[in-house]
Amino acid sequence: MNFDFAFAATTLPTILGVIGTTISVALLSCAGASILGFSFEIARRAGSLPAYLMRFTIDFIRSTPVLAWLYFLYFVLPHWGFTLPALVVGILGLSIYFSGYLAEVFKAGIDAIPKGQAEAAKALGLNRIDVVSFVLAPQMLRNVAAPVGNHFVSILKATPYLAAIAVPEMLGSALDIASNTYRYAEPLTVVGIVFLVLALTIAQGVRLLERKLHGPTNR
Amino acid sequence: MNSDGQPMRQTAPWPVEISQHHSAHPPDRTVAVEAAALNKWFGSFHALKDINLAVPQGSRIVICGPSGSGKSTLIRCANGLETFQGGTIRIGGAELTGDEKQLQKIRRTVGMVFQQFNLFPHLTVMANCTLALRRVLGKSRSEAVGIAVHYLERVRIPEQAHKYPAQLSGGQQQRVAIARALCMNPRIMLFDEPTSSLDPEMVKEVLDVMIDLAADGMTMLCVTHEMGFAREAADQVVFMDQGRIVETASPATFFAAPSQERTRLFLNKMLR
Ligand SMILES: Nc1ncnc2c1ncn2[C@@H]1O[C@H](COP(=O)(O)OP(=O)(O)OP(=O)(O)O)[C@@H](O)[C@H]1O
Ligand SMILES: [Mg+2]
Repeated sequence: MNFDFAFAATTLPTILGVIGTTISVALLSCAGASILGFSFEIARRAGSLPAYLMRFTIDFIRSTPVLAWLYFLYFVLPHWGFTLPALVVGILGLSIYFSGYLAEVFKAGIDAIPKGQAEAAKALGLNRIDVVSFVLAPQMLRNVAAPVGNHFVSILKATPYLAAIAVPEMLGSALDIASNTYRYAEPLTVVGIVFLVLALTIAQGVRLLERKLHGPTNR
Repeated sequence: MNSDGQPMRQTAPWPVEISQHHSAHPPDRTVAVEAAALNKWFGSFHALKDINLAVPQGSRIVICGPSGSGKSTLIRCANGLETFQGGTIRIGGAELTGDEKQLQKIRRTVGMVFQQFNLFPHLTVMANCTLALRRVLGKSRSEAVGIAVHYLERVRIPEQAHKYPAQLSGGQQQRVAIARALCMNPRIMLFDEPTSSLDPEMVKEVLDVMIDLAADGMTMLCVTHEMGFAREAADQVVFMDQGRIVETASPATFFAAPSQERTRLFLNKMLR
């Protein structure tokens, strides 16, 4: 079977038709994973028992497959009376799965702030809330921006898992074309290239962001 | 002892309270920091042992001693960055209770300069100086900028206000850190080895600023091994070893005729 470039071109609009869903799902999942991961990390610092519980939670999340989370949320939760739309399950599943990694990102981002920063802020008479909001949080955000961006790429590349629960995303629509036309090479190649271009673009953006944040003016 | 106002404050661009009115603030204000029978443990390690030290308003006291003798711990107790387990500390007459609100209030009157500068790297020099003026003292933006410019001029660095700390040399960063602390118009300045992490050629520019401050009557409690500074600016030199104050003397006596054997050994090593 020869690769049919003309046919490949006709699959592009269908596949790009759901690129919005793919990107939105990835963005929302990245936000969800960041909020969850940050919460885990803050809870972990609250004492030795919370630290133990959070460590266990994070390890548990990270050692289960994404698909297991998606299937659990989509097929098992309804038995207990929680039926969620596929799109919500997809975002929730990716958020939970990646929160384990984002927690590590926030841990590193907080640990990288020298102890002297909080001390200098306190020594100036700032209250706790101001120490966090004007001195620690901005530095943490700067430290995590690039790694969160890199995880966003990973999340984007994990969105095809959502085909398993029938969320309309790019790989799913490529597979639909394939099963209707019995031609796999063209739609799958196209979807691969689209992902490649997306991922490379974002990675480049992250690199620029990193250079801006950690350049000569802003160590 | 010069127990009244510091001349430099009269040049400040806003009306400042000067402690000339002793009647309004009875004996309190004559002693900036006073530690009495101070004891501090890190776990089972006894870091400060029965420390008694008074820093009268207007005096300059230099603390020196070998590494690990408790110099940093002592000076950090004086603004509540370390807790302590025995004895008392009074700042401007008020006894530290460990209450967070009280500490925040007291810290406005105590400036601190660290060995590692600890400037906020995400803020410009100007923003480093104005942050506490705005958030803690509630100054307006323009008022805060006016105060910051004044003190940046004092440390001879006004032209760097728009830069970020990473764009400055170590000596410049430390001078900004001094200006940042001065902006709060503190009644005492604590210095913890302010020149120890500087390249040799930058030590002088920072010491010059500190000597200026001393000449203007600023109350200073200073951990340093810069014996030149101690000779020139200090009223008293305190020598610590193993968590204790071993000897307290005027610089002249301290360097020429220390009374303790341990002090002599230390000075021999320091001055080689
Ligand atoms: N947070 C801490 N936990 C446990 N021990 C500590 C802590 N901070 C200081 N110490 C110990 O207390 C002792 C005094 O420390 P400190 O930092 O006050 O010494 P120093 O005189 O400032 O020394 P240096 O000249 O090296 O700065 C040292 O033995 C140190 O190991
Ligand atoms: Mg020290």
